[in-house]
Amino acid sequence: MLVLYRNLLRLYPAEFFREYAGEMTLVFSQAQEDARAKNFMARITFCLREVSGTLIGALRQRLFGPNWNLSRRFNMRPEFRFPRSTVFLMCVILAGVVLAIDKALNIVQMKEGLPPGTVSAWDPMVWALLFALALVLTAVASVWGILFALRRTGMHRLADLDFGRNSN
Amino acid sequence: MDTTPLTEPVLLVLLSLAEQPRHGYSILKDVEQMSGGRVALSTGTLYGALQRLLAQGWIERFEEDEGPRERRSYSLTSKGRRNLRAEIERMRHLTKLAGLRVARRES
Repeated sequence: MLVLYRNLLRLYPAEFFREYAGEMTLVFSQAQEDARAKNFMARITFCLREVSGTLIGALRQRLFGPNWNLSRRFNMRPEFRFPRSTVFLMCVILAGVVLAIDKALNIVQMKEGLPPGTVSAWDPMVWALLFALALVLTAVASVWGILFALRRTGMHRLADLDFGRNSN
Repeated sequence: MDTTPLTEPVLLVLLSLAEQPRHGYSILKDVEQMSGGRVALSTGTLYGALQRLLAQGWIERFEEDEGPRERRSYSLTSKGRRNLRAEIERMRHLTKLAGLRVARRES
């Protein structure tokens, strides 16, 4: 996770990276130690929060830099929080739905004289989960690609240019 | 003086620094504690906010004598404290107004 985090930090503009990367890595490793002592869900939440926070932070730095208003609410939305209990509840509901479909399939198979379990509802479920995972990874890779391409163009160096110095 | 409302994470970071100078990890923990675990900042969000506060002169950054080499601490400047006071005053006024309006409605 620390290696991934260090690589994500490279998406920030070079100036920001030079100034804060060491400090951010230190804070991240300390926060990671804390998260390790917690349960599985807390560790997953920590990883997701850090990855999304770093990606969004890097994008924000690329687009706006440090000079945006501290009161612009759309930049940070503490009110937009997904309750952890909802994630658990959604998983339980999903499992319940798939289980119900599986039972129904078994009943249909028994009626048609087939042995139960010939067709299972869990098989497409695994594929659906893999598809969702692939979709998320593609989205992350796309954001990474865009930020990496921006970094390669050297656009961030334009901010360092002082045109006033050459005007005399 | 900027009188527009601050975002909750920025306000919590400023409140954390109002008490004493702190380093990044200490701010993270303090913000989480102050909000009763409701606001858990990522390091990306924290350092984005700190960088903007530094750029606007609300906080200052300094090296610590002890601790790891990479560690830096942050403290409120007089401008930051002034703006924080103004924000608290704005919230106090809003809370008072809300209390009056609700009480009037109930009576």
